[in-house]
Amino acid sequence: MRTLLESLKERFPLGPITEQRPDLAFVTVERETLRPLIVHLRDREGFTHLVLLTAVDWIEENLFQLTYLVHDRANARDIGLRVMLPRDEPEMESIHDLWPTAATYQRELKEMFGIPFPGSPRLDEEFILEGWVDIPPYRRDFDTLKFAEENFEHRAGRGTTDPATHMRERMATQGGSK
Amino acid sequence: MRDVLSPFLAWKNLFRDPVSIRDPLNREAAPRYRGFHKNDVEKCIGCGTCETICQNGAIDMVPVDGFDPKNGDSGLRPRIDYGRCCWCALCVDVCMTGSLTMSNAYKWVDADPDAFRFIPGVDAKSWDGSEHGYVCAEGHHLTALERVPMDEMEPEARISNFDEIVAGYDVARAKLEADRCVSCGLCIATCPAHMAIPQYIEAVRDGDYERGVALLYETNPFSNTCGRVCTHKCETACAVHNEGEAIAIRWLKRHIMDQVPQEKVREIVGKPGPATGRKVAIVGAGPAGLTAAFDLAKAGHAVTVYETRHAAGGMTRYGIPEYRLPYDALDRDVDVITSLGVDIRCDTRIGRDVAMADLHAANDAVVLAIGLHLGRSTRIPGSEHAQVKKAVDLLRQITDGEAFDVPKSAVVIGGGNVAMDIARSLARLQKQIHGKVDVTVTALEDLPHFLADREEVKECGEEGIPIFDARGPQQIVIDDAGRVTGLRTWRVKSIFDDKGRFAPSYDESDELFHPAEMVIEAIGQASDVSLLGEALTEELAWNRGRIAIDPDGRTSVPWLWSAGDCVAGPDVVHAVADGHRVAASIAAVFAERSDARE
Repeated sequence: MRTLLESLKERFPLGPITEQRPDLAFVTVERETLRPLIVHLRDREGFTHLVLLTAVDWIEENLFQLTYLVHDRANARDIGLRVMLPRDEPEMESIHDLWPTAATYQRELKEMFGIPFPGSPRLDEEFILEGWVDIPPYRRDFDTLKFAEENFEHRAGRGTTDPATHMRERMATQGGSK
Repeated sequence: MRDVLSPFLAWKNLFRDPVSIRDPLNREAAPRYRGFHKNDVEKCIGCGTCETICQNGAIDMVPVDGFDPKNGDSGLRPRIDYGRCCWCALCVDVCMTGSLTMSNAYKWVDADPDAFRFIPGVDAKSWDGSEHGYVCAEGHHLTALERVPMDEMEPEARISNFDEIVAGYDVARAKLEADRCVSCGLCIATCPAHMAIPQYIEAVRDGDYERGVALLYETNPFSNTCGRVCTHKCETACAVHNEGEAIAIRWLKRHIMDQVPQEKVREIVGKPGPATGRKVAIVGAGPAGLTAAFDLAKAGHAVTVYETRHAAGGMTRYGIPEYRLPYDALDRDVDVITSLGVDIRCDTRIGRDVAMADLHAANDAVVLAIGLHLGRSTRIPGSEHAQVKKAVDLLRQITDGEAFDVPKSAVVIGGGNVAMDIARSLARLQKQIHGKVDVTVTALEDLPHFLADREEVKECGEEGIPIFDARGPQQIVIDDAGRVTGLRTWRVKSIFDDKGRFAPSYDESDELFHPAEMVIEAIGQASDVSLLGEALTEELAWNRGRIAIDPDGRTSVPWLWSAGDCVAGPDVVHAVADGHRVAASIAAVFAERSDARE
């Protein structure tokens, strides 16, 4: 893995590298570097399998993180490529032409995070959210509880009690904590 | 031809073993499947954290028969609406006691939709005994269990001075500590003053210290003091206490006061209310008396406080050593109260400088908040000797800066905080004057039943003060020249008899002699009620040596209220709560009188 990373460093501008295990490393790269690097890994280094493509919302840093995990079967090792995208302009180049399965991941990411991959097949079709009207739900500023309260009625018979209020009312009659 | 035959060829599969499951209706889920909840309702404390974290609004906290609210348990239990639950198990992961878990049962058919809303552990279900299901992984917690460390002076650095030991949190650490709080509010009921604890901790989290001060002053004008020396029973009720270390509520309170300049505190507290023309006299400028004064002054009544000592503060100044509560911190609390126009007259003793009858004549109400300033004696042989002192008297002398002969060696009788206070204060003076600590503590209780705070016992040890527990004092030994040479003790077999009365029994064969030039008694205090005068003492109703009061703090004499340690026993935050109580009662009586006049 070390040799591979060294040779990648010579060819591509790489950001921070994390060697998680001897058979697993993560490399952060610029948006423009992703495609040439992943093509090189696939065609020259044996990383022929796209394991997954996923995202993380780093709302505090105003960034989305994409992670492309690719696997080299012959040497049983994985590399994760990370791309940090500005949250307010997160568009990313599609890789469906490299791996057809990427289209599905990209469709999911478009729906759940709102990250567009222009040109990716069926990108704007609903994936699992039918008739979704709110902001993409995996964005961390999506308030799940608020959404649930606004969209799903409570059955009759619900009602809760605040612990502190309950204790004040019920324990005061017993002379407080004296 | 194949097309014609192929449907019949499929028949051969009839004779193969089926790949499907034989009885699909009774298939058990995977062992860690997240199914219907289970709740160990005896372990559950009703903190409602499960309800707070639920992103579907599926959980209600509801009262349950047989579970009354008590310290550290709201008596409520979670009821789950499975029409909304998405089985994410966040409620299980956040549960502060580990009582809430999930079985792996997921199949249940019922025609009544309301059946799918029930209280796990209370409404019996077939899966209650299930061994499988989802539990929070060992060692996995959504909240930090360990308290953010507090900087404290090392024993070598603190033993030769009276500097404050605890440094206080800085802003970053306070935020981290505040972040551990789940805002359940179980602590509020345990605090005698019912302080808005989750709210002021939230103010720390938000960095809004002025809001914090305003919240503190709603219930406690002694927050500099309580932020340092409160008995902090609230922390025993903290939900985090079940699986980790309680939130440092006391230190966070102090932290808020530390962040806001005194002028700003005065500004937040505001001005006294418009003058009502009513006058109240308060005897004793301790936390109870001054809290009552604070409330009454805010309501516009004219308050005069009479204090026999040189300065205000009562036991917090004259009992608690400076290394725990620096005088300037106490002064800041008192300053806010005097800024409301409360007139504190120090060096004024009722019964000597002013008569009780005069107070009655000149005021609409009088409050007695005289504390417990008389040390009790063991009355063992030798206890009349001049070198046998009371802890409270010595502590007062130290506060007033009165010179006294600091003994080269001393033994303290007592195992409460006062005993620790005098032992540690003397140790400091010995170090300063003689260069060497020689103080021994002997207590009736054994260490597991010690009355003093754990930290006090620990810090005593760090400062080179040995504690002999379960030792009963028998005699103060005096030599032929009339000098005290030490204390003789026997080992305590039991302190109380089988009826629970105080009747220590000793193992006489286990005798120890603790050599010392001075013996200090720290076995409890009484009120100095001599100031009442004979007539009033006769007129008042008493309750086992203390002035009898009703739940509002009113004595049997209509113009007289009493509050604080002298009626409720020693506890600073309890005294604050008492002060509020009598002030509210007096205000109510004033309002009644106004109505009657109109």
